[in-house]
Amino acid sequence: MKFTDQFRFVRQNMKKNKTRLFMTVLATAMGCSFLIVLASVGFGLQKSIVDNIVGDRMVTAIDVFGIESDSGIDQSIGLDQVAFLRSVDHVKAVTYRNPVRQPLDPTVDGVPAHSGGVLNVDFDAETKAGFGLSAGRLPQAGDEAIVGYHIRVPAEGLKPNEEPPAAEDWLGLTMNLNAAQIGKDGTKKTTAIPVKIVGIASKPTREWMTDSRVYIGNETMNEIERFTGTQWGEPRTLPSEENKEGYEPPGLQDTRHFNEIQVIANSADRVKGISEQIRKAGYYNHSIADELEQVNLVFLIMKIGLVFVGTIAVLIASIGIYNTMTMAVTERAQDIGIMKAIGAHPSAIRRIFLLESAMIGVLGAVIGTAVAYLISIAVNAGLPFIIESFMEEQVPADFRFSWIPPYLAVLAGTISLAVALLSGSRPAGRATRIDVLRALRRDM
Amino acid sequence: MIEMNRVSHQFSIGKKGKERIVPVLHDIDLRVEEGEIVAIVGRSGSGKSTLLNLLSGYIRPTSGTIRLADRNVTGLSEGDWSNFRLKHLGFMFQSFQLIPSMTAFENAELPLVLQGIGIAERRRRVMTLLEQVGVAEYAGHYPGELSGGQQQRVSVARALMLNPPIVLADEPTGSLDSDNERQLLNLIRRLNADLGITFVLITHDEQVAAIARRTIALKDGYLSNAPGKGAVSTDEIH
Repeated sequence: MKFTDQFRFVRQNMKKNKTRLFMTVLATAMGCSFLIVLASVGFGLQKSIVDNIVGDRMVTAIDVFGIESDSGIDQSIGLDQVAFLRSVDHVKAVTYRNPVRQPLDPTVDGVPAHSGGVLNVDFDAETKAGFGLSAGRLPQAGDEAIVGYHIRVPAEGLKPNEEPPAAEDWLGLTMNLNAAQIGKDGTKKTTAIPVKIVGIASKPTREWMTDSRVYIGNETMNEIERFTGTQWGEPRTLPSEENKEGYEPPGLQDTRHFNEIQVIANSADRVKGISEQIRKAGYYNHSIADELEQVNLVFLIMKIGLVFVGTIAVLIASIGIYNTMTMAVTERAQDIGIMKAIGAHPSAIRRIFLLESAMIGVLGAVIGTAVAYLISIAVNAGLPFIIESFMEEQVPADFRFSWIPPYLAVLAGTISLAVALLSGSRPAGRATRIDVLRALRRDM
Repeated sequence: MIEMNRVSHQFSIGKKGKERIVPVLHDIDLRVEEGEIVAIVGRSGSGKSTLLNLLSGYIRPTSGTIRLADRNVTGLSEGDWSNFRLKHLGFMFQSFQLIPSMTAFENAELPLVLQGIGIAERRRRVMTLLEQVGVAEYAGHYPGELSGGQQQRVSVARALMLNPPIVLADEPTGSLDSDNERQLLNLIRRLNADLGITFVLITHDEQVAAIARRTIALKDGYLSNAPGKGAVSTDEIH
């Protein structure tokens, strides 16, 4: 028996009792819709909470502390090691922050800035890594710099609840970095290296923290080093009464070590792999991926729980399908008997009834999914309005309470179909066992 | 060819543990040649319908063997019986057994649908047969809209749809008036003569028995010519 003929039979049969069919499909659709909407809350919250975090550098960054050595942790990470870290698959950038080893006493228009130090960063890498800015842009030229959010806070600090002076006002201004060095003959020389302020770093997330640092690129750093003749602009100390040996900092040709190394992954899900790979290569490192994994695990368990609860609704709907199919078999006992009497194979009878229950499941799933999408859209549109109106809380712009990924709809459809087939299997089995003679009411 | 060798059948009635065995057929030996029309007659309860049900595969013999169309069908599974029935047997019932929710056309085409034949071929074959049995103009009518004679003709068309070599008919004229009965018997005679179809007719109607080459009588589950049992009659009709 061809599938098209089975389908035709099913359609004819379904038309016989439209009200009963409608109620059964409605129950299935409600169950399926309930399942999707319930699970969509878990998906929505995870997307809104975790995905926003995942996009952040905080999650994609791996801090590298040093390299394993015979004597413990060797914190000297040189250019070769940085090159290796950059070569690892799925690494977007490797950043470092090397403090300039003298205060440089920055001034803007002759006004001293109470800087918390000057940091040398790789702006190319920072651009890829996502350097957080509150205003302006990242440097594009060698003589451009970024200043901390609190660069204009006076030396005596702020009064309680006082807002810092707006650093943005310094955007576009020139800052002089006043480098100093003592010659080997004891003469002190100074120079002012001008940089243009093009960006303001973002405000530190912790309210007790301040950022009044100046971030300079490699070109400015080189200029300082050319002036001082030492690595990171470190001034030398000549021998004296207190310090008889004096101190000669590492020269420009000496091996250079980098500080605050961060490996930035392409995406949060790559962090763990990169972390394990560089750990195997001997690099001590840490990321918050492990903590995030815990969060994801909690959401996964929550979603499984919600899908399970939703499935119970579909199972309740399956009672309706079972009842409908049992009634259908009872009502069509004579038709089934006639078909069997003239040569219908029991498997063909079974397929017809299974197809009918499957169609109820599919119809219910399609309608239920469509309704679930409408509910999801309505909830996402309406709930922020309700919260803002009655609870006076601001909901983030891209926050979603409910999100239905395509695979959730497919999963719900599959569950509905499976439950429908399961509900129909027993009545279908009964149909195949219908006694021909009893159905034909023939005496024996 | 139909062959029954020492076929017996008994029913078990009553509750489990307190069953009572009721023998219905006893050591039936029957042979029907190809192209024969055989009538099986007997009183109510004589076992003639049970005999037809055994030949139809609706019930299984308690003992003995049955061969139909050169095949031993005694031990066939239900699925194999279905396939065999569809290809080799046609059925005519006293109450026609048409599906009420299907039109005459759809009822007649049912064996073709079960066989998986394409829609165009089905249409051609169904209309040809409905025309041959004289109800083509009622193809779109439901059984409830047809007379008894018209319904039985649709039933005949359905029985012959896959050109079966054997047609088993249980009281085929039982629900027909004398005019329709005469027309149906003429049709059976013509089909037998033209197509060589073997007919086994269960009847207690003398007119039906009259078209048979052979009439076999059953009494209390024994063939009338079975040795040692009380024979009623056995006619050879030439």
